Amino acid sequence: MASVANRLLRSSAVPLGCALAALWAAPASAGDLDLVSADTLQITGDLRLVAVDGPESWIDGGLGKLRSGSDGDFRVRPQLGNVSLVWKPQFTWSLGATIVGSLQGGERTEAGLSQAYLTFKPMRGSTIAASARLGLMWPPVSLEHEGADWHVRDSITPSAINSWIGEEVRPLAAEGSVAATLGAHQLRATAAVIAANDTSGTLLTFRGWALHDRTTLAFRRQPLPPLDADIAAYQAPYTHPLLDVGPGFARRPGYYAKLAWQPPVPVRIELFRYDNRANPEDVDRNLEWGWRTQFQNAGLVAKLGPATELKVQAMDGRTRMGFVEPGQSRRWVDNHFRSAFALVTQAFGPVGLAMRAEAFETRNHGDDVDAEYDDRGWSAMAAAKREIGRFTGLVELLHVSGRRDDVRRRQTQAQAELRMGW
Amino acid sequence: MMRKIQFLLAVASLSGPLAAAPLSVRVVDATGRPVPDAVVALYPAGSAARPPRRAGRYVVSQKDIQFHPFVTIVPVGADVSFPNLDPTKHHVYSFSPAKRFELKLFAKDQSRTVHFDKPGVVALGCNIHDQMSAFIVVTDSAWTARTNAQGMATFADAPNAPARLTAWHPYLRVPGGVVQQSVGSGQRSASFSIRLRPPPAMPAMDY
Repeated sequence: MASVANRLLRSSAVPLGCALAALWAAPASAGDLDLVSADTLQITGDLRLVAVDGPESWIDGGLGKLRSGSDGDFRVRPQLGNVSLVWKPQFTWSLGATIVGSLQGGERTEAGLSQAYLTFKPMRGSTIAASARLGLMWPPVSLEHEGADWHVRDSITPSAINSWIGEEVRPLAAEGSVAATLGAHQLRATAAVIAANDTSGTLLTFRGWALHDRTTLAFRRQPLPPLDADIAAYQAPYTHPLLDVGPGFARRPGYYAKLAWQPPVPVRIELFRYDNRANPEDVDRNLEWGWRTQFQNAGLVAKLGPATELKVQAMDGRTRMGFVEPGQSRRWVDNHFRSAFALVTQAFGPVGLAMRAEAFETRNHGDDVDAEYDDRGWSAMAAAKREIGRFTGLVELLHVSGRRDDVRRRQTQAQAELRMGW
Repeated sequence: MMRKIQFLLAVASLSGPLAAAPLSVRVVDATGRPVPDAVVALYPAGSAARPPRRAGRYVVSQKDIQFHPFVTIVPVGADVSFPNLDPTKHHVYSFSPAKRFELKLFAKDQSRTVHFDKPGVVALGCNIHDQMSAFIVVTDSAWTARTNAQGMATFADAPNAPARLTAWHPYLRVPGGVVQQSVGSGQRSASFSIRLRPPPAMPAMDY
């Protein structure tokens, strides 16, 4: 872990220097500077009671798709969920930063840096608004997460798509965004150059999809399930989602781009494209590989009534790793993945209800990793939420069913959660 | 003598308080449903026109990442305070010709004040929270009111004189953003049927 951190810190010197130069150049006044105050600090956290059956969680080295698991029996236990300390210093009225440290409880409790980025938001024009971010951040894919602590808004467990974004798609990025109002239409275009996300796709290929609200922490590793002996000979039994495998920093920068359109009807449509442009033949001394991962995500938010909202996301992508052996046409790993969900929320006064249905699959056509790693399944979730001041109470029932290597695994999980925020 | 008294009463009924009478205005949309939050203003012709009086404090607060109230009517020359009641900072601005201003970051329990010296509609926004939106109508007529949930606004002391009656709404779908009609002497009620565009249906794209 230390070597990964050192390499990243060394290689991040240039963008960090640029950020500090921008900070130095930005006009500041004493009144705008706010480094540490009640306005810049926020702490959020949750405690939960989890009842779950099915296999051990993937976090514990099992094949379960959820954050918690059991040995096949029905297990009930209290658990510390996620605790986040959010620091949002303001350097000038337009230049600030967001730094989030997180502690994630339950199986394999760990703490670390969750996000750290500079924000620049100059005064908007009458029809155009621009903004920029620079640093370690999640790309704007999820319709389920909100806030600097990136908590799930309407339930406890996010969909498979956004669980994967949280665990493997958090690059170092330089992102610019322009929003325009054209009559009654609103458009927002976002584009970013990214680096240090070369291993994205490792977990999705070897484990398959999962549903949980644990997110990747900087320099921390994610465990992989037990690998075949052939694969274990060249692939580390873990993955660092924040890693630039190739020589030099950002020699092959990737990108993401997003277009959002809000017409004068209660609908918003989003299109997102990601390509980490990693070299699938790059490997480091720890046997972590570059995974060329590309995906498209489409999102739709529609207000169906005064208190009813529909959210839909669909993702389709491909990740490749390793060499093309002589006489073969595919790399060692060639994984097509896709998933989609629909989430309906309905408010009944102070109580919010949410129901989600989703399907997911991975299809492997690699030379080494083939159909035995395919993962197909579905899940259904129902949740209720009630906010009282600084507290939010949630209950959630989640069922997931997945088939892998002709073995079907089912898990049902009931959770009650109390969220707090100061 | 009796003729003299009758003449004086007639003059008084035309020029003094006796000349005032209620005027009710109803605003409905194209389907006949009442339209709340429309601002109607009466502009009597000639000497009956009267500027509004400044009274009390005018406040547009920020709470729960929204402005409150959504529509505020203030007289020309009013000072409006903008207290921030949210635990986050706001950056209030307007690009409207009636008043361009910018209140850079101010935090919870802080307030800023803006002087509004020209009549017109001032659209408010927050540079940090794009979903925040509100309007201040700066009026130069003493007879200006906002329609209630039934789409009604009443001027208890409307002058008994020919006048121009205007109606404005944040989502009014007409060139210029205002509709108007003439009101004759002695007319005690008026109505507008207006076409509205749908309000911004979604929270702003806030990434």
